[in-house]
Amino acid sequence: MLKMTHLSKVYRTEVVETYALRDFNIDVKEGEFVAVTGPSGSGKTTFLTIAGLLETFTGGEYHLDGVEVSNLNDNARSKIRNEKIGFIFQAFNLIPDLNVFDNVEVPLRYRGMKAPERKQRIMDALERVGLASRAKHYPAELSGGQQQRVAIARALAGSPRLLLADEPTGNLDTQMARGVMELLEEIHREGATIVMVTHDPELATRAQRNVHVIDGQVVDLAEDPRFHQHQSRAGAPA
Amino acid sequence: MEIKPILAALRQHKAGTILIAMQIALTLAIVCNALFIIQQRVAHLSEPTGIDEPNIFVIQNEWVGKVTSAEADAKLRTDLDVLRRVPGVQDATTSNSYPLRGGGWDDGVRLSAEQIEDTSDATIYFADERFLDTLGLKLAAGRNFRADEIQPMSTRDRLAPPVIMVTRALADKLFPNGSALGKTVYLVGGPATIVGVVDLLQAQSVARWASNFAYRSVIVPRRMAIAEGAFYIVRTQPGQLEPAMRAARKALFADNPRRVWDEREGILSFAEVRSAAYESDRGMAVLMGIISLVLLAITAAGIVGLTSFWVGQRRRQIGVRRALGATRGDILGYFMTENLLISVGGAVAGALLAIAMNLWLVTRFEMHRLSLLYVLAGVLLLLLLGQGAVLAPAIRASKVSPVEATRSV
Repeated sequence: MLKMTHLSKVYRTEVVETYALRDFNIDVKEGEFVAVTGPSGSGKTTFLTIAGLLETFTGGEYHLDGVEVSNLNDNARSKIRNEKIGFIFQAFNLIPDLNVFDNVEVPLRYRGMKAPERKQRIMDALERVGLASRAKHYPAELSGGQQQRVAIARALAGSPRLLLADEPTGNLDTQMARGVMELLEEIHREGATIVMVTHDPELATRAQRNVHVIDGQVVDLAEDPRFHQHQSRAGAPA
Repeated sequence: MEIKPILAALRQHKAGTILIAMQIALTLAIVCNALFIIQQRVAHLSEPTGIDEPNIFVIQNEWVGKVTSAEADAKLRTDLDVLRRVPGVQDATTSNSYPLRGGGWDDGVRLSAEQIEDTSDATIYFADERFLDTLGLKLAAGRNFRADEIQPMSTRDRLAPPVIMVTRALADKLFPNGSALGKTVYLVGGPATIVGVVDLLQAQSVARWASNFAYRSVIVPRRMAIAEGAFYIVRTQPGQLEPAMRAARKALFADNPRRVWDEREGILSFAEVRSAAYESDRGMAVLMGIISLVLLAITAAGIVGLTSFWVGQRRRQIGVRRALGATRGDILGYFMTENLLISVGGAVAGALLAIAMNLWLVTRFEMHRLSLLYVLAGVLLLLLLGQGAVLAPAIRASKVSPVEATRSV
């Protein structure tokens, strides 16, 4: 479903080159629920933005659902984002000027879907996250947990092949976070492929598989000394 | 195009939306009326006099000292002889006035002696038998004056010529159902028979008060025989205007230096006459043009400013839309459509306001009714202006990267 091979992302200025990702390799199979963890600055968010085609990469290969994406133009990337990827952001990223219904409708409109189908999908998605009754509410009228549920409904409405979640519970209290995680697990059980970026090890344990990123590379937790150094600095048991 | 969500979003930004729509409405109302005024003034500027303007110049001559009517008439005829001998001059005539002069003798024309109300107002032009040829006027019907019909007229004489010529516009007004030739009309001094109809001759004033008889003139067989002098109208051979003007001045002063010419208006080419006659119209058209341009520029700047502010404010939102699948074209289209919706709202209000403003001007300043074509043209202009103004900020918005969606607030 998602396969990156020797992928690199370099930020260049006139005087310095910074590798955000270096020789990055990952293979997520269809139906998997993978948690990508790592300390701040390790490159996990860069991985997510590249995985979601939000930005380009410098070298290597990236196949998404069997398509090599490195040579796609901006419009083609937009189309793939719209049709194959569902995003769940830490800050929910709902559009404050639009009500819940209109927010969920945004990606469907960009797909050029007819109104009756859009309405059906929106209501199904809102039913699924338990917010059908709040369709006419504006984001500011909802709690953080409800806003994230709307964001999940927006991600699900387009029936994406891949769900990318960036710290989906990062802005929520424990109880709301639990609810959102249970929802993601449920969605996974129904067959969705989910890649979740988090710095929270406890959340990561809820995923099927953990991928750890340090210094822009995927590492084997048991063997990589950088992991042990990091754990020592953080005061955690090695 | 996503009109419904754009309208929903605009409802959340009522203040900015209403302000810009109001600015568009007010600009449209003023610009429509200003353009209409400009068009009217320009049309006014282009109205024909009916005379051979490129080859005509006029002289305002005044005699020095005490001069009797008979002496004045003799001097005037001598002057005309002198002028006709000037190299490059085709012919010369004299009158009490000429088209576009700005003032002169206007009087009422009646169809019977008992009639109290005039049938029409008309400009009175004095003319000799060479008046038509000198001005390049076309006789539409009847005949020109004979030399023996031309009489000198002093300030003590009544205007009672036995024969007159009229312009076609006056003839049509006086006798809409038949020929004016041979008919008798009544001037201030008594009856006169129409012997000729001149095709086109503009009145001496182009002011609003004279607009209802702009082309209605009576041509009388009279010469101004007064010490205050008269106007000489001179027609030159094509291309000889300037040298003939210089030579005419020299010849007249050489023949008789006891005359006074105004420094500025003593001798004028007809182009100068036309320019002076329409100075206020030109000024008004330019002023209205400047006002329109300034208003359009302010409105465009307002649209650019508000859209730039909204783009800055919605960077993250644009990033989210891009992340959810919007192409650059979709984002560009969003802002263009948003502006179009605001502009259409403003334009509808502006069209109504333009018509209301014009109705007020019609009743208050006797302006003409605004043609709906101007409203439509104004609406189109404002919509294009809006789209043009929003283009740069919209392009900036379309360049916002989708990765903006992942940035921390």
